[in-house]
Amino acid sequence: MDADARCFRVALVAGELLNAAEGRVDAMAVLQAEEWGAIQLPAAEYPDEVAGPLLEQVAEQVEEFARHGYTLAVVGGRPGLDEALARVGVAAPPAFDPDTADDLVAFLKETCR
Amino acid sequence: MPGVAFVAHCLLNQNSKTHGGARCPGIYSPLVEELRDAGWRLEQMPCPELAFTGLHRFWAVKEQLDTSAYRRHCRRIAAAVAGAIEVHVRRGDDVIIVGIEGSPSMGVHITSSDPDRGGRPEWPDGAGELSPGSGIFMEEIVAELTERGIEAPRAMGISHQLPGHDPEAERAALRDLMEAS
Repeated sequence: MDADARCFRVALVAGELLNAAEGRVDAMAVLQAEEWGAIQLPAAEYPDEVAGPLLEQVAEQVEEFARHGYTLAVVGGRPGLDEALARVGVAAPPAFDPDTADDLVAFLKETCR
Repeated sequence: MPGVAFVAHCLLNQNSKTHGGARCPGIYSPLVEELRDAGWRLEQMPCPELAFTGLHRFWAVKEQLDTSAYRRHCRRIAAAVAGAIEVHVRRGDDVIIVGIEGSPSMGVHITSSDPDRGGRPEWPDGAGELSPGSGIFMEEIVAELTERGIEAPRAMGISHQLPGHDPEAERAALRDLMEAS
């Protein structure tokens, strides 16, 4: 079996920050450089009937990472996320809405302490 | 014009891989960069195996996962993903799917199959389980889209866990997929 390179750190990231528009923090680039995995949160443009089932899946996956002690963080967030996590018994991870890439780097480093 | 790529969960989160399968710490950058450089929007699909069989799951072949309970689980995820795909298709976006070749769930053209595998998990390395066909989730997402009257998007699978993986060929295949509309 190959050596496993996983980082044991997972960020729950707003769709708008993973597919960053001009002038917004490019979370994908920061997560890549800081060696975090990402779980994408549904973008705000999706109606509730589309976002709800996606958030339910996010919560079930986060529960598995939480159960195994992975470091978790929320970047940008999404309405309904905390409720979806609560339904699977997971407390909301530390959250941050960054204005700059440097802010995001600092938050991720702080979360790992 | 760039479109929307619905990508396998592990492309953005290698932590979801079966132990021994994570090729990099978090984001599998070669294909992510290819998509982003071409201006495509990424949408991450849930990993069907992660919440069902867990982080400590064994490597498995399709027959081991192909139960009615797992099919129901995959259909629930497929309905969620198809809802998002439908939003983009209805407004005229070009949509592609990027799965994982060799996966019993996310394989697009290659899955893994061994009808005899089971019991104590001991088998020789290099057992020939790779076989043509789609994984269980891929079958269910195509079925869900068909029910909604949506043509299945063009699709390919990442080949990084196949023997003889060629990163350049993989990137070229992704470029071809993006340009094939």
